[in-house]
Amino acid sequence: MTITVSQVTKRFGSFLALDAVDLHVRSGELLALLGPSGSGKTTLLRILGGLDRADTGSITFFGEEALGLTPRDRQVGFVFQHYSLFRHMTVHDNVAFGLDVRPRKDRLTRAEISEKVTDLLELVQLAPLADRYPAQLSGGQRQRVALARALAIEPKVLLLDEPFGALDAKVRKELRRWLRRLHDEMHITSVFVTHDQEEALELADRVVVMNSGRVEQVGTPGEVYDQPASPFVYDFLGNVNRFECMIRNGEARLSGLSLTVPATAIAPGPAVVFVRPHDVELVPCDGDAGAGLPRARVRHIFSVGPTARVELDIEGHPLEAVMDQDRLRSLNVHSGNWYAVRLTRPRLFGAGTRELP
Amino acid sequence: MLSKAAPRHAERPVLRDPLWVRWSLTALALGFLALFVLLPLLTVFAEALRQGFAPYFEALAEPDALSAIRLTLLVAAIAVPANLAFGVAAAWAITKFEFSGKSFLITLIDLPFSVSPVISGMVYVLLFGLHGWFGPWLRAHDLQVVFAVPGLVLATMFVTFPFVARELIPLMQSQGTEEEEAAASLGAGGWQIFWRVTLPNIRWGLLYGVLLCNARAMGEFGAVSVVSGHIRGQTNTMPLHVEILYNEYNFVAAFAVASLLALLALVTLAAKSVLEWRWGEDVSGRGH
Repeated sequence: MTITVSQVTKRFGSFLALDAVDLHVRSGELLALLGPSGSGKTTLLRILGGLDRADTGSITFFGEEALGLTPRDRQVGFVFQHYSLFRHMTVHDNVAFGLDVRPRKDRLTRAEISEKVTDLLELVQLAPLADRYPAQLSGGQRQRVALARALAIEPKVLLLDEPFGALDAKVRKELRRWLRRLHDEMHITSVFVTHDQEEALELADRVVVMNSGRVEQVGTPGEVYDQPASPFVYDFLGNVNRFECMIRNGEARLSGLSLTVPATAIAPGPAVVFVRPHDVELVPCDGDAGAGLPRARVRHIFSVGPTARVELDIEGHPLEAVMDQDRLRSLNVHSGNWYAVRLTRPRLFGAGTRELP
Repeated sequence: MLSKAAPRHAERPVLRDPLWVRWSLTALALGFLALFVLLPLLTVFAEALRQGFAPYFEALAEPDALSAIRLTLLVAAIAVPANLAFGVAAAWAITKFEFSGKSFLITLIDLPFSVSPVISGMVYVLLFGLHGWFGPWLRAHDLQVVFAVPGLVLATMFVTFPFVARELIPLMQSQGTEEEEAAASLGAGGWQIFWRVTLPNIRWGLLYGVLLCNARAMGEFGAVSVVSGHIRGQTNTMPLHVEILYNEYNFVAAFAVASLLALLALVTLAAKSVLEWRWGEDVSGRGH
């Protein structure tokens, strides 16, 4: 089931939620719509599911125009952020709902429905709780009921709105892996919305990064993380050090710093340079390796788990570095120590690229 | 100290008032209730049974009294279902859809609360009375509204108009439209969504609203008094019948009929308490 979105625009009053969005969802893939709140990702998902209407543009499901179709005809399963389970129905009846409301001629018999519901509840590991009410379930269990309910109608596309947003961190991780396994088994075309970059990068086959109603970049998790197409994507995915700079003679001079990075493939003028914290290398000042490099002083060390985060002060500007514990020990990093700094993989964006919000 | 402090307000030292304050406030409240609510209620029953059970039941079995009871039940049987349907429709429209004129509709629903019942009765006389706007037309077609059952039903409906809608709107607002959206995404049509999702979620609040609506419909005096014409055995409802009997110094009969209305009030209160105790969150809209 492929979905093609072309030039879809949606306004809420004077707020432009979606600005001529183009998107192609491949058959069987797990696609993440990633962006900050207000970026239009949930609006796009709701339009895909037929819960909202687009002002202009078109959406085709497998080549067939879908904007005029009701949710029923689109055959999409929608999993809501706050589950939206029917509070007066048992888990069993919640999952059976989509089958119960079918027109009589398409409806399965009571026994067939019951059997199918039982199978689905086993799939989501909730069979013993079939007679419970939603209020008697934990957040993770409710989420799985919502998923089983959406799967019951045998949707061609599964849409999930912040599927793990309301769960605590541990449950979220478990459920995330479980959903990935489920997708690998069922191969149902799925689109999920998230504002959590870690979730998008870990779970999705491809990631759509959205900002202010536009698509910034589409790519595999590796592509969007390693080759961000815009300053926004670079900034949004992971921690980052950001410096204003001026490009002249194939060299970018960082504003207010005696630091330059090579800039060959970019036009002269003002630009922005980004460096990931794990691309900031600390070198002892006393050796030859540190000669000619700018100096920075350690302000603070956050050392929990396998990596340590080091906050530095470089000529009055903050700079963040991340390294593993072995490196931290071998360098003997302590607050107040001075180090030479090398930026191993700086990324430059010229003035022509889209600005940060 | 901290470990002992339960999260109940009464046990928080800061909120603990001197004993005499608590006692005098409680006594004041109870005394007020006894004097203004309990005593009159007891008086109704005491006066009704002053001469024993025989005259009490005789007064109730009297043809005019029976006719008043029948008429009251008839009026309530038409007005309450009508306002049930209207209340659900209005609350549904107001809470689940966006449309212009919404705040005007909400104001309109509240109108009967703010208008004196006598005025509402007068309006119907002015509209449908002999010299009213539609009077001549109605007479030409041999239809009688004022001083007949249709007038009583109209006046009662007007007065009890807000009860169901007012009860449902906050409840449905708090429940939002998420479950309806979920049902739509699962392929349910409009009617299926209403019967299977919306209605079950509001059923206890709805029952509560209907109870209140019914109590008011049966007990309404002012509006009904204006449009009734007070024809004994024909257009007298129970409250009007009580007034007539009382004005004729027939106290036992007056209080006997009044005691039925008082009983209705007590049953309504009891049912309301049970609903609130059993399904408190669903009734009041404070849940979830």
